[in-house]
Amino acid sequence: MSNGNGDNQGVVTKDDGVVVLKNVVKKFGENVVLKDVSLAIEKGKTTVIIGPSGCGKTVLLKHLILLLRPTVGEVYFKGERIDEFNEHDLDKIRTNYGFLFQGGALFDSLSVAENVLFPVRQHYKITSKSGIDELVRTKLAMVGLDGFQNYYPGNLSGGQRKRVALARAIALNPEVILYDEPTTGLDPIRADIINELILKMQRGLGLTSVVVTHDMTSAYKIADRIIMLHEGKIYADGDAEHIRNHPNQIVQQFINGRVSDDDLEVLRMSGTISRSEFEPLDLEE
Amino acid sequence: MLDVLGHKAFLGLHNMGRFARFIWDAITASLYSISNPSTYSLIWTQMHIIGVRSVPVVMITGAFVGMTLAVQAYDQLAGMGLEEHLGVLINVSVVKELGPVLAAIMLAGRVGGALTAELGTMKVTEQIEAVKSMGTDPVKYLVAPRVLACLLLTPFLIIFADLMGIMGGYFVSVIQFDINARAYWEFSASGVELWDVSIGVIKGFFFGCAIAAISCYKGFTCKEGAHGVGEACTEAFVASFISILALDFILAIMAKTIYSMFWPLKSLV
Repeated sequence: MSNGNGDNQGVVTKDDGVVVLKNVVKKFGENVVLKDVSLAIEKGKTTVIIGPSGCGKTVLLKHLILLLRPTVGEVYFKGERIDEFNEHDLDKIRTNYGFLFQGGALFDSLSVAENVLFPVRQHYKITSKSGIDELVRTKLAMVGLDGFQNYYPGNLSGGQRKRVALARAIALNPEVILYDEPTTGLDPIRADIINELILKMQRGLGLTSVVVTHDMTSAYKIADRIIMLHEGKIYADGDAEHIRNHPNQIVQQFINGRVSDDDLEVLRMSGTISRSEFEPLDLEE
Repeated sequence: MLDVLGHKAFLGLHNMGRFARFIWDAITASLYSISNPSTYSLIWTQMHIIGVRSVPVVMITGAFVGMTLAVQAYDQLAGMGLEEHLGVLINVSVVKELGPVLAAIMLAGRVGGALTAELGTMKVTEQIEAVKSMGTDPVKYLVAPRVLACLLLTPFLIIFADLMGIMGGYFVSVIQFDINARAYWEFSASGVELWDVSIGVIKGFFFGCAIAAISCYKGFTCKEGAHGVGEACTEAFVASFISILALDFILAIMAKTIYSMFWPLKSLV
């Protein structure tokens, strides 16, 4: 079903996707961050969630793995309602996910190899050292960092940290991988390496990916579907072409990185800045 | 005015509820860790960080406590011609009260501060959420080993503080004030009972548990940013300090009650 703008909207059922949010509302005190959001994440596709800072993208992403629980609404994983699970049962469900945090969230006290092995150690008994070494090597090779096993996170660049975090996120061979602003803080070349890795994960391994970003270059490159979130609601939903030609002004302002007329007016009202305002301060030292 | 008071009271109750729930989670996670040998390596690592590395500071604390007590008490006892009884006074004070309490306060500063800062930084850099996202309970992985290490090692650290307190007291009394060594030890042995030493060591279990639980809780609930971590560390130390003193008071009453109940039976034994 679609609305007047051609967006995918309408009633979402629990079997519409591998992860489904149904009428999710999230409040922090009086602040309502998500307002009745319904969303089905399709299996094997890359869904990109875009939107201005503070609109609730990361909050939405964390609901997909229930790192945050909805105030109202339902969350389904493969048709099973999981928002009513206790933490112990959720731990089992979470092994089906990989989560790439914005800053990587690598454990500083563990080496790269130990970081990658962390989830494996938590869920499996390790009996063969050679098997483990091979597993770490394979995962690091997938992100182009084989040979960095003995490095510590403090010795890695921002891009390398994110790649190690990605290797850790895929260590348990998850079905769904969630990326929280994977290219933020990286130069365009490093950002493109991450984009290529996301595509490689999806095409090579058939993973279902959900990416939160405000990097439109990245969004257009990797997305099968783009969802725009604004003020806690889904504003636009469709493929890259659909979003590019979206008639809504807010969507256009965001994807083209243009400030709104209202915000411009506020800036103009604050007056012009003259050189005299930058004279040395007439204050006692 | 009433609004503000009501809101603060509600907030206080809410925080107490959260802390109680955290304690419950920490207890169940610790019991799981004890029954699961695969977690022993985590406990072992924390024992090294929390226990072994605290030995020097705790020993120094104990030594100064013993020496200071000797310096302070000598004049009073010497004035009454009882200077040979100095050993009893120093050693009972050290093993029963000052050794355990001051060693615990030193641990609250050294270990508690480090635990809160470490877990607080992990929280603000999303490392705790990362643990959770990988299907692992962060309380089991991060809190239980630290609580168990503190619980098991604080009594041992108190024994170190006691020993050094006794040595410090002996050094000042016998070497500096020239009290007869034989008389010093004989009066000490007659005045210090196994009960006194045991009560001091038993306090260590409670102090260790309180320090670890409060520090981990403050780390897990710290606010964003460097200021948040700093504030959590301060709050953890203050709360641990007060808890140590409050627990010491409660345990002293309990110990006294138990002692007076069973003291008449001592002669039978």
